[in-house]
Amino acid sequence: MSENIVRYIEGDSVVHRLDPRAKIIFVFLFIASTLVASNLFEVLLLLLLSIGFYSLARLPLRKTLPTWKFIFLIVVFLSFLNLFVLTLLYPKEGHTLLQAGPIKVTYENLISSITPVVRLLSIASVTLTLVFTTPPNLYAPAFGQMGLPYKAAYVVELSFRYIPEMIGELRKTLEAQMARGYRPSGGNNPLGRVLRVIPLILPVTLSAALNVYDIADAMELRGFGASGCHTWYRQLRMRRRDYLLIAIGSLVFVSMLLTRTVFSR
Amino acid sequence: MAKTQRGGISTVTIVAMAVGTALYAALNVFFNMLQLPGTQLVALRPSVAIPMFFGYVFGPLVGFVSGFLGNIISDAISWGGFWWNWDVGNGLLGLIPGLIVYILPEDKRSTRLGLVWSAVLAVIGSIIGMGFASFTDYIFGYGISTIEEAIYALFLPAAVTDALNGAILTPILVAAYYQAARGRARRA
Repeated sequence: MSENIVRYIEGDSVVHRLDPRAKIIFVFLFIASTLVASNLFEVLLLLLLSIGFYSLARLPLRKTLPTWKFIFLIVVFLSFLNLFVLTLLYPKEGHTLLQAGPIKVTYENLISSITPVVRLLSIASVTLTLVFTTPPNLYAPAFGQMGLPYKAAYVVELSFRYIPEMIGELRKTLEAQMARGYRPSGGNNPLGRVLRVIPLILPVTLSAALNVYDIADAMELRGFGASGCHTWYRQLRMRRRDYLLIAIGSLVFVSMLLTRTVFSR
Repeated sequence: MAKTQRGGISTVTIVAMAVGTALYAALNVFFNMLQLPGTQLVALRPSVAIPMFFGYVFGPLVGFVSGFLGNIISDAISWGGFWWNWDVGNGLLGLIPGLIVYILPEDKRSTRLGLVWSAVLAVIGSIIGMGFASFTDYIFGYGISTIEEAIYALFLPAAVTDALNGAILTPILVAAYYQAARGRARRA
């Protein structure tokens, strides 16, 4: 199960070799640009940019296919929902594309239901690229060296370290209870499998919450928090391409902002 | 203990944040793995009680961080990618039960009154947190474009299931925690 934890896909592409800080800043700028982008044309440009960023990473389709299937499911579901609600509740006037009885799909409806979905898709491909190309053990040093307080970066570090522990704890508790004669209720259907985990929440959460004090004491005995900041084992270095990526991100953001504020009226 | 308060955040708080985050992320990953793809949109998540419980016991900041960071990590693990507004919404789920520090004194939190408050705050937290997430989805236009859709497709399913799970599980967790803490004679 623990091999499922890491979503990082090893590779040697340009995106893999970028500084994680540059990638994080770029993703933030990109998400901010999608907030400002208003019409379908701008959103499509952002989608093209994000697809370009994604394809630079040269991720093998075999490993990313389940994720894409899931995203397309959401996208198809949301776009149908959008179109459905828009055509039934707010029939806009305009060119009629399709008419079946009282239901009328117009060009304007189609545009205004596609735009949000394209926006969703472009954010998805950018965040996916970040997650797939950045090893999880680099997030905490990246945040720490970006100027986040040491203790905040340490929370990130510590949470990544405890996730496999917690999954192991869940499994151990389930097996311990089964050894005492507990038979998981529900069949093999998905709902039954979810129901099987619910009885584990109470014991696992309690033992974790009670352990908090022990872990904190152990850390303080070793001098945690006595001196302000520790140094990071991994020193990140910004190269020219990292600055280039940040420059592209800020350029896109600024131009979106300009089109929104200056040229729109 | 008091010596390490220099930065304003004690070691217990830091560890509680990390453990809460890890537990929430792990449980969410568990639920996501066991689910059929596609049911996740309106997922039944009993794990929402984790940030609520951590918020109630360790304070609002711990609740917020464990909900926020836990949701980012579990989303990134189980399918890659993350949505900042749903992460903030999940953080609010944990922050609002943590407001109990301003409502009840420490020794009253394990009484029956405290348990009722924890259930009430869990419901309020679900409404505000999921409301924030679905309406920011609408305002910024992430996938949906009408307010009706935000209410009926995102807000109501998410808020109702989270409120039910939170209102049932949080008091149970809180009661069991204070019992166990008393039994072990720990600071709590």
